Amino acid sequence: MRYKSQIVAREYFLAALLLFFLQVVFGILSSVKYVWDTDPLLAILPFNVARAIHINLLVFWLLLALMGATYYMVAEEIETEIYSVKLARLQLGILLASGVAAIVGYLFQWSFGLPFLEQPTVIKLAIVVGVLVFLANVGLTMFTNHQTLTRTTATLLGGMVMLAVMFLFGIPFMSNLSTQYYFWWWVIHLWVEGAWELIAASLVGWALIKLTGVPRQRIEGWVFAEVCLVLLTGIIGTGHHYYWIGTPHYWLWWGAIFSAAEPIPIMMMLVDTVRHMLKARRLATVNTLGLAWLGASAFVHFMGAGVWGFGQTLPQINRWTHGTQITASHGHFAFWGAYGMLAIALMYIILPEIGGHPTEKGTKLGFASFVTLNFSMIFLVMSLLIAGIVQVYLQRIMGMDFLEVQNQLRLWFEVRLVSGCIFLIGTVLLLWDLFRLARTLPAGERAPEPQPETVPAA
Amino acid sequence: MPSTRTILWAATLLSALAFLGMTVDSLRKLGARTHEERLSAEVIEGKRLWQHYDCNDCHTILGIGGYYAPDVTKSYAIRGDAWLRQFLKEPAKMYPAGRQMPNFHLADEQVGSLVAYLEWVSEVDTNGWPPAPEGVARAESGGAKVFLAQHCNTCHSIQGSGGTLAPDLSHEGSRQTKEWILAQLNDPRSHKPDSIMPSFKQLPEAAKQELADYLAGLK
Repeated sequence: MRYKSQIVAREYFLAALLLFFLQVVFGILSSVKYVWDTDPLLAILPFNVARAIHINLLVFWLLLALMGATYYMVAEEIETEIYSVKLARLQLGILLASGVAAIVGYLFQWSFGLPFLEQPTVIKLAIVVGVLVFLANVGLTMFTNHQTLTRTTATLLGGMVMLAVMFLFGIPFMSNLSTQYYFWWWVIHLWVEGAWELIAASLVGWALIKLTGVPRQRIEGWVFAEVCLVLLTGIIGTGHHYYWIGTPHYWLWWGAIFSAAEPIPIMMMLVDTVRHMLKARRLATVNTLGLAWLGASAFVHFMGAGVWGFGQTLPQINRWTHGTQITASHGHFAFWGAYGMLAIALMYIILPEIGGHPTEKGTKLGFASFVTLNFSMIFLVMSLLIAGIVQVYLQRIMGMDFLEVQNQLRLWFEVRLVSGCIFLIGTVLLLWDLFRLARTLPAGERAPEPQPETVPAA
Repeated sequence: MPSTRTILWAATLLSALAFLGMTVDSLRKLGARTHEERLSAEVIEGKRLWQHYDCNDCHTILGIGGYYAPDVTKSYAIRGDAWLRQFLKEPAKMYPAGRQMPNFHLADEQVGSLVAYLEWVSEVDTNGWPPAPEGVARAESGGAKVFLAQHCNTCHSIQGSGGTLAPDLSHEGSRQTKEWILAQLNDPRSHKPDSIMPSFKQLPEAAKQELADYLAGLK
């Protein structure tokens, strides 16, 4: 850690980890309801409330983790202290308070009622204020030092601005459901397949420059190409959500063609990350666990978002699979790989520097959580995929009733529940390990800071 | 020769512009495709209630939302007015076993708004989604196909497959004649004044005949 103010990233990470833990707990509560018909919590925590909390916590913890990492990265890239640590803490307070108010509100039926955007308008406005404080703080950090922005920081800023702007389309109530969903996708799709991809690409680029010793110019060139391709395919790729919501028929063509190309930049990110990671093997000090999370994130991002997404993006397939458990399988796999694992990777890269563990390579506990989380997630995703395929066959093709089909899927919902419980164990191990890293070591116990290295010429 | 960087920038910008252009066109066409003129105050109130009770985190609508409960895009067309009204008043009574929907204790007026909203949604032009069941159903007789296509199995069951809300039809042919079944399809209340079964009067005559033949053949 070169700048004192970077320490604020730790507060963001710790808050994010607690929310992540809660997200998993509410995920399990939701999945129990798929297994047992009699729901003892029907009156206080019906499925819709449990799901709303589960998916809101997902967005909140990922945002906080990415924002924390942004503060850390920007200070390092611009070579200056963060403009205001107080503002960063105020922002964290606003966002956490908004999140808690939203979640408590859901328990009392205080909801805007759009999936992922259930926060009532007043809370959404508070979130906007929190994000504006963030943008101002990051912007002032970037521009007061009179230093030219690096390409990675410029991309990151672009992603954050896009994220803030797109959120505005989720605020108004629209009388026409089709119009409402048209713009709802501007938040949901253009976040995860636009703004967040920009943020992720730049943070991965920064982490690779930092960890692998590969020259900046080479990595930044890749990041630029990937980001352009993400936007080129992803913006019109929104059309794969416009097949069946009342929008014109031509979206079946535009959505299919552009979204079918969406896996290309993700594939490039995977190849790029792995290629650069292999170079890191030549370095003396390697943050093995941090790199493992980073590499695995690139792989699962490609599988979950790229392959699983491509599998049902063409309208000929999507008309059968739309709105089934196959979508749930894709959602879990893609979010985990693209953003969940990336957020954890960034914590494993940044927290050791903050806590004074510069030679951290990963402990047995850390690797155990890595294996537990990823294997249980694969089981969870596969069980939902199988449930989805059976559901499509019985319900959509054979014409059986929805609830009757749900009964037939019970085995796979049980597998999903067990996988979720194992995932929870992995989460506890992860929290244990990361809290250890977050604890600042007294000066006497610290290993000396390693000197910057570059990859030796082949 | 422009650099790769310039080409990438230009292509990205162009795609964003194309997207905005299509957005303008789509919004222009949405009015007709969604019958916007039928968006009455009651329908809009129904949408507000739908959001207020966060129905969308259990149910999908236009295929979007939670996967815990049935998609409601076509529920008005499938279930009909009377059934939906009764269900929204007392969900547990209509589905005595299985996954439960909470009772929101809605006032009659609220129920009316929700049903009006569902009616409006069921008329949105969704490019043919959700598709009518096919596959195995194709190999079935004409009447069995109509039975599935009209979602009769959500309430009635045959040979253990289907809903439990309405009578089991496995041996319907040994209880009722074809004429009785036809009368029931055309006007369910002619046999039972408080029946909540929707009328299938609007079905083409040939489909009704096939369905009645099929059910009368179940001995």
